[in-house]
Amino acid sequence: MYKLDRRTLLRNGIMLGSTALIGSQTMRLAQAAESQSLVLYNGQHTHTTAALVKAFTQATGVKVEIRKGSSSQLANQLIEEGVHTPADAFYSEESPPLVQLDEKGLLSPLNPRTLKQVRPGYSGKDGHWLGVSARCRVIVYNKGMVKDSELPTSILDIATKKWDGKVAFVPTSGSFQEQIVAIKLTKGRKAALDWLKGLKKYGRIYNGNTAAMKAVEHGDIATGLVNNYYWFAVAEEIGAANMHSAVHYMEHQDPGALVTVSAAGVLKASKKQALAQKLLAFMVSEAGQKAIAASVAEYPLRPGVVSPFHVKPFDTLEPPHVTPADLGDVADALALRREAGLA
Amino acid sequence: MLFGSRRRTGPSIWFVGSAVVPAALISLPLIYVVIRATQAGMAGIGDEIFRHHTLMLLVNTIVLAVSVTLVASTIGLAVAWCVERTDIPGRRFWRVLAGVPLAVPAFVSSYAWSSISPLLQSMPGAILVLSLSTYPLVYLPVAAGLRGADPGFEDVARSLGDGPWRCFCRAVLPQLGPALGSGALLVLTHMLAEFGALSMLRVQTFTTAIFESYEVQFDSTSAALQSAVLMALCLPAAYGEMRLRAGKSVARVGRGNARRASTARLGGARFWVLAGFFLLGLLSLGVPMATLVYWLMVGHSAGQGYADIWPAIGGSVWLSVLGALVTSLFAIPLVLLSIRHKGKLAAFADRLPYIIHGLPGVVVALAMVFMSIHLVPALYQGVTVLLLAYAILYLPLAQSSLRASAELVSPQLETIARSLGRRPLAAFATITLPNIAPGIGAAMALMVLEIVRELTATLMLAPTGVITLATEVWSHTYDAEYAAAAPFAALLVLVSIVPVYVFTQRFLQFGESS
Repeated sequence: MYKLDRRTLLRNGIMLGSTALIGSQTMRLAQAAESQSLVLYNGQHTHTTAALVKAFTQATGVKVEIRKGSSSQLANQLIEEGVHTPADAFYSEESPPLVQLDEKGLLSPLNPRTLKQVRPGYSGKDGHWLGVSARCRVIVYNKGMVKDSELPTSILDIATKKWDGKVAFVPTSGSFQEQIVAIKLTKGRKAALDWLKGLKKYGRIYNGNTAAMKAVEHGDIATGLVNNYYWFAVAEEIGAANMHSAVHYMEHQDPGALVTVSAAGVLKASKKQALAQKLLAFMVSEAGQKAIAASVAEYPLRPGVVSPFHVKPFDTLEPPHVTPADLGDVADALALRREAGLA
Repeated sequence: MLFGSRRRTGPSIWFVGSAVVPAALISLPLIYVVIRATQAGMAGIGDEIFRHHTLMLLVNTIVLAVSVTLVASTIGLAVAWCVERTDIPGRRFWRVLAGVPLAVPAFVSSYAWSSISPLLQSMPGAILVLSLSTYPLVYLPVAAGLRGADPGFEDVARSLGDGPWRCFCRAVLPQLGPALGSGALLVLTHMLAEFGALSMLRVQTFTTAIFESYEVQFDSTSAALQSAVLMALCLPAAYGEMRLRAGKSVARVGRGNARRASTARLGGARFWVLAGFFLLGLLSLGVPMATLVYWLMVGHSAGQGYADIWPAIGGSVWLSVLGALVTSLFAIPLVLLSIRHKGKLAAFADRLPYIIHGLPGVVVALAMVFMSIHLVPALYQGVTVLLLAYAILYLPLAQSSLRASAELVSPQLETIARSLGRRPLAAFATITLPNIAPGIGAAMALMVLEIVRELTATLMLAPTGVITLATEVWSHTYDAEYAAAAPFAALLVLVSIVPVYVFTQRFLQFGESS
């Protein structure tokens, strides 16, 4: 008779475990051998990328394995992986992670034809990364706590005594660094420093954009400095009619009206350069841009494709004259934050 | 005495060898931190460490970690005493329920609390929320300790005229020292590494700063320096806990403590104690659960991703069970070695995991990315490396659960088996292993619980396409789809209740039988 004692159990358990381990490794190698597939490290909205990749696979027959994570976490992982990376392409929610990867020499030059598909000025200057979709910095405000007429026309005015205890900001977020650099480039270093000092004195620090957005919607605080799509993400979730907060766009080339982009690049270490270039070309094709625009409140960067969300039309935005490529210098943003006592 | 020193060849080499493997494994993140930190150069190290901002982080980190440890220990001790030593109505029910908050992920409870009032988004709020979610780490070992404690000491104290309080302090508390100490150490190191909850509660510590270094600056050098400071903070705690158990030898061959300890009658205080338990249940379980229900009801994203539910449950279950198995296998030799061979090296190998435990998951995960891609690229983003990362992250939890049962197994038993002709491995398998089985059960349950919630290492190291409940909760909440996240979060809690139940039963039964 078969008797199950503790030792048999343990032995079988170990055998089962090791079989599973070896098996999964072999499977992985087998998968890698298949040539018509790509590995995409994805930091962009899950549904956006899923919709995009589905359309790509239908059009080309190329399978795409998606590894998800936050954009900066994946960039750090890519930096540690270096030339051994299994990734072929990287799709990031923001451009600074790609600027960092480019500085470390990890990105391939992109096909110039792909770069020409999108509005000029939103991709890497050396053509190593591609701007895919855009969004702008805004002030979100709780309608019960602030009147429309009281809202500032410049982002610089919000770091003043008038707004004491009324501004949520996220000094550690990627887009906040870009905001600092934009103020520095357009208004000078001193203005940026004073602005940060004012925020430290009168604003309230949050550790994440979602947390800040939630605080404004909930009425914990009157206003918050975030990207426009954070408002649309919450509106999508609870219904725009139920929102207690609204979006305030700044104008007149104010640095508060900064436009930033989501971006993508091809890893230099990838052995499937042509295929990866094909994926990026698809991202900015009409089909690709439509798939993206349908799933997130960002502006498609291909001329002629329009966001179905009720965002302020892209051509009516009045952003400052700085491009995403100018904004990659996070080191200086950090130096400024340290000087202001915010880091 | 070196274990089995009568014959220096066989056992000691096997034994030491099997402890060297986990020790080497655990030093991988340490090596990584050193490699990265030295890239800063001496001047860079000075600039980074001696800044006003660093001082602020240091103060915040210490205040948070020490306060949460004190509050969680007080709650844990009080709850353990009430369910073990008083006539509170529904003792069995409370005994299990008091462990369940372990099943609620901290980011769910902190989201819930931060929604209630902005006042809670502060240091006192963080202390409250985190104490409520970590006190079971103290409650469980202390409850087991109270059951195993010898009531004879109390009789003596009472006969010498001590009142109940004095008796508790002089006769009971000292016996609970090791249980309380190991629980408190776990809470403390947990707090040093906590990130998810703090991001909602607006408190900045070294760990949030480490995240910032990676997230904003892509600067692994500053992150490594901050990690080194964090590890230095773990040292005094680990040392203190080691002192607490130093010189204690509790192994027994027979089963002592035949008499059950007497139960204290609560009398008029009964109502208040019961009310306290209800309040604790409400705060630690009711609030987070209500939040999940709220998400489901108001959210428009409800129903998204249902197709992922089974793969996510599957991924969570098999990764956590395998991870628990691997971690326990590594923990056994470390614990046995440190108990039987009281040398400095064994003590060091035993403590090392606790120091690493204070590191945030992102540092350990990146260390494993770096190490595996350079040492064994073929295994990168395979299951093996992920399981090893789990072992590095959670070894101390397995060690502290194993230790309690391993300390009661006399090494003489194995020596006798050896003298009767058993081979070393056979002697271990037939004598020691069965005796520490309850400890292994408890350790496995606790491991499953922790691994099910693990996020960072899973995201970076799992085979591409493998999903777990935790990664799905993360991915939906990251996109602000709270209603879509709710079923995954609820399932995460439900799946976690199984190991919590096993753990509670194991731990408490074990106390009963000793």
